[in-house]
Amino acid sequence: MAEASISVRGLWKVYGPRAGRIVGSPDADLPRAMLEAKTGCVVAMRDINLDVAPGEVFVVMGLSGSGKSTLVRCLTRLIEPTAGTVMIGDTDVTAANRDELLDVRRHRVSMVFQHFGLLPHRTLIDNIAFGLEVQKMAKDKRRAKAEQILELVGLAGLGQRKPDQLSGGMQQRVGLARALATDPEIMLFDEPFSALDPLIRRDMQDEIVRLRREVKKTMVFITHDLSEALRLGDRIAIMRDGRFVQVGTPEEVVGAPADDYVANFVRDVPRSHVVAVDSVMAPPASGGSSGTVPLGTKIRDVVPYVAASELPVRVVDASGTVVGSIDRVAVLSVIAGEDLAPVAGG
Amino acid sequence: MVIAAPITGIAETATSPITDKRWHRLVVPGVVIIAIIAVGYAIGHEVPTWLDAHVKAKVDQAYQWTVLHGDTNWLFTDVFDPIGHAISWSTDHLLSLLRTLRWPGVLVLTALIGYRTGGQRAALTGVIVLSGCGLLGFWDHTMITLSLMLVSVVIALAVGIPLGIWAGLSDRAEKVMRGILDTAQVMPLYVYILPLVVVFGIGAPAAVIATIIYAVPPAVRITSLGIRGVAGTSTEVGSSFGCTGPQLLLKIRLPLARRAVLLGVNQVIMMAFGIVVYASLIGAAGLGNDVLTGLQKVDVGRAFAPGLAIVFAAIAIDRITTGQRPQRIVSDTVASRPGALLGRRFMMPLLAVGSLIAVAVVAKLLKADHFPSSLTVDVSKPVNDAADWVGRHFRKGVPIVGGTESFSDFVVINFLTPARDLLQHAAWYIIVAAVAAIGWASGGWRLGLVCGASFVGIGALRVWDLAMDTLSQVLVAVVISLLVAIPLGIWAARSITVERILRPLLDVAQVMPAFVYLVPVIFLFNVGRVPGVVASVIYAIPPGIRLTTLGLRQVPEAPREAAISFGATPRQELLKVQLPLATRAMMLAVNQTIIMCLSIVVVAALIGAGGLGLETVYGLTKKQIGQGTAGGLAIVLLAIVLDRITQAWGSRSNRRAGAQTWAQRRFSRGPGLTL
Repeated sequence: MAEASISVRGLWKVYGPRAGRIVGSPDADLPRAMLEAKTGCVVAMRDINLDVAPGEVFVVMGLSGSGKSTLVRCLTRLIEPTAGTVMIGDTDVTAANRDELLDVRRHRVSMVFQHFGLLPHRTLIDNIAFGLEVQKMAKDKRRAKAEQILELVGLAGLGQRKPDQLSGGMQQRVGLARALATDPEIMLFDEPFSALDPLIRRDMQDEIVRLRREVKKTMVFITHDLSEALRLGDRIAIMRDGRFVQVGTPEEVVGAPADDYVANFVRDVPRSHVVAVDSVMAPPASGGSSGTVPLGTKIRDVVPYVAASELPVRVVDASGTVVGSIDRVAVLSVIAGEDLAPVAGG
Repeated sequence: MVIAAPITGIAETATSPITDKRWHRLVVPGVVIIAIIAVGYAIGHEVPTWLDAHVKAKVDQAYQWTVLHGDTNWLFTDVFDPIGHAISWSTDHLLSLLRTLRWPGVLVLTALIGYRTGGQRAALTGVIVLSGCGLLGFWDHTMITLSLMLVSVVIALAVGIPLGIWAGLSDRAEKVMRGILDTAQVMPLYVYILPLVVVFGIGAPAAVIATIIYAVPPAVRITSLGIRGVAGTSTEVGSSFGCTGPQLLLKIRLPLARRAVLLGVNQVIMMAFGIVVYASLIGAAGLGNDVLTGLQKVDVGRAFAPGLAIVFAAIAIDRITTGQRPQRIVSDTVASRPGALLGRRFMMPLLAVGSLIAVAVVAKLLKADHFPSSLTVDVSKPVNDAADWVGRHFRKGVPIVGGTESFSDFVVINFLTPARDLLQHAAWYIIVAAVAAIGWASGGWRLGLVCGASFVGIGALRVWDLAMDTLSQVLVAVVISLLVAIPLGIWAARSITVERILRPLLDVAQVMPAFVYLVPVIFLFNVGRVPGVVASVIYAIPPGIRLTTLGLRQVPEAPREAAISFGATPRQELLKVQLPLATRAMMLAVNQTIIMCLSIVVVAALIGAGGLGLETVYGLTKKQIGQGTAGGLAIVLLAIVLDRITQAWGSRSNRRAGAQTWAQRRFSRGPGLTL
């Protein structure tokens, strides 16, 4: 892995009187109600460690109250963590002074909010230019830039509208545009699409996928929607009661749930939607083939080939070299949910 | 202005475990109260003569000192006098500016401001209503009053808004200010008028400063409330993009709180108008003085016309400051031509100033110095005739109800006199013990202590019997007000039609200065204690209705819907869902009614209600500063006791219905309430 873009070590957030004493103490492992009765404190997040590589999309998934929003806010100290360190590139955010922190927030990290967080008294252009305005960029310059970004998110010509004249989906496009406008290395998404209708949500997810291809940002994406997590994430962390119960690729999480909690979560996910050929393919086979697919293809996309022919499918890497083959049995076994092939071994 | 601060609160989750030691809590206060009674019995039925704070003598002494040393002491020559001069200078120059503009210029200015804030409608209303002052023949006096008001308002805003922002940003600042404002809230105006008179003498500076002190609290509260009302998500957005503190304030908090701040401006103006007449008690010339003269001579017509002029001026200012500017829909094409907007931005003010100067010059050339007397209407004679007619026909001999005189007798014989006799004839220590007990039962031992001590203090001011007289009137007025206001409020909350009828009446009542109510009351009841009570009732009913309606309306939809879905009748819905959930608001209504009734005590004294109010008025008008101070302080003590007790009722129900911040609680009090 290259130099991590975000690196978090031993991050805690405890609410309550003299919160620091709870960190790492045996009390922290008490059930929530007992801890609160005993010390008056509530642990929102405990001992989080994570590294996000540049360009990676890291999804944190959990139910409400699991601490995921706290985590994302601690990354730029919108919420002050109780203990632990956060590194953004080379900057130790947790040790940063006021100016360094402002610099991180202004230039390096930006955030998209659950309820859009648009400022109702500003036009769309001025909303998008907000981050630039805070950086004290000149007015005509930041407006020009905002126009560009507005076009990028497909709202060209609507710049003089006010946020309340837009639908939810359009408002969140503006939220996205605002986050993009400062051209940050890292984008944080706090359940950005949970307030949207399912169809719009899907559109917006596509937007993220497209952006990811085009602008290559590091992203931390918070969601409570498993299908969203599986769709967008390079890696997924499942969070519960303030801690990570599992961190892994979508395949690992679906294929090898760390505990019953995760298993319960992923129970209804069709494995063929998640598992890629990489993890179930056999060594390259000689003889004919029904077709050729690249590494990373999901099993469900192989189904048409093996349905049409008895021959196995060839798997090639980026350079076109054949690296493996996959036959009808392997495909069916994934679909059946039987763990016949070794998972996550490659 | 409708003050509908949505009540959103955090439900208090902490539940203190109920201990078995409840009897414990009963014993201690019980013993204390029995002890008070025992000690009191030993001392005697009347307030003992040694219990005397010598307030009158000390204050009179202090006043003498200031009269003797006012010219030489540095405090006067270097501090108070310059302040006084600055204020006189400002009001004089503003007045001469208004006079230079002449009446056409002032009307144009009104129109321009109105147009800027509320479009054509506000401009038109402002001009028409303000012309009313001229038509009544009080144009110049209106300008005198306006110049005093405007100077006060500008200073009050310059002080109040920054303080409000500070209180909105800092919890600690809010806590400190809350204590001060809470006290100011129950402090009747004349209590600080007296020291002001001592310091600045009778005249415009004292009146302006009294108005400022009176008008600053709402500015602070509303601004703080507005700042605090900005959603956390919005400020979080600001922080996430790296806003510094000042950037957060300027780019997010203030713009989003703009409406609240503007409402604060409007409230300050209304507050200032609310006390014009009081200001004239300490030497402010203008309309208030005219009203006062009329009232003192019991000349209804002479009090009515300037009173009406004050109402007109207040409405005009209200309209041109609250107008909601119609949302400008900028079409994309216009906005994309920056030149168009830029041109507008600079051209409009230029045009406005130009036309103003042009009108003033033309007016000067035409010698339109005074509002044309051919247009003025003398209303005092028809009003006096009407008053006589009403007096002749309604005081006596109305079938069945019998007329206002018999009503008056009925109230005096059946309520006022028994209540007063009960309070005055009961041994003073019994009253002290009873008040302490009520305080303790309402809000714990501390409140009990405060209440008991306050009443002992009233004794020490040597105004016990007068205070009991006032208390009896206030209590009777409160009971009558609540009997009228709460049912009407419930009715208005349940029927749109009733609310539509009541709302404009309440709005008008809200901008009407208190003493205006006195005029029709004198028509009907002549002078005495009953008109005082009736005036209090009329004054206190509007906020009572408003708060009741507001409280019921704010009950969330969900539980009501649930009740209906279970087949609750409207009556059940009201009794089982709405009223229990609106307890806090109802208690606030009770609290407000009491404060309003108390606040009018001094006004009522002007029409013969006697009691503490008379002491205060006498003190002010006859320069019996000591006597006036004693009376004023006693009113403050009464107010503190009644306010704290009823507030405790409200906050007790808080625990059930969800708490509200002090700013919201105070905000919903509305104008004219801190009197």
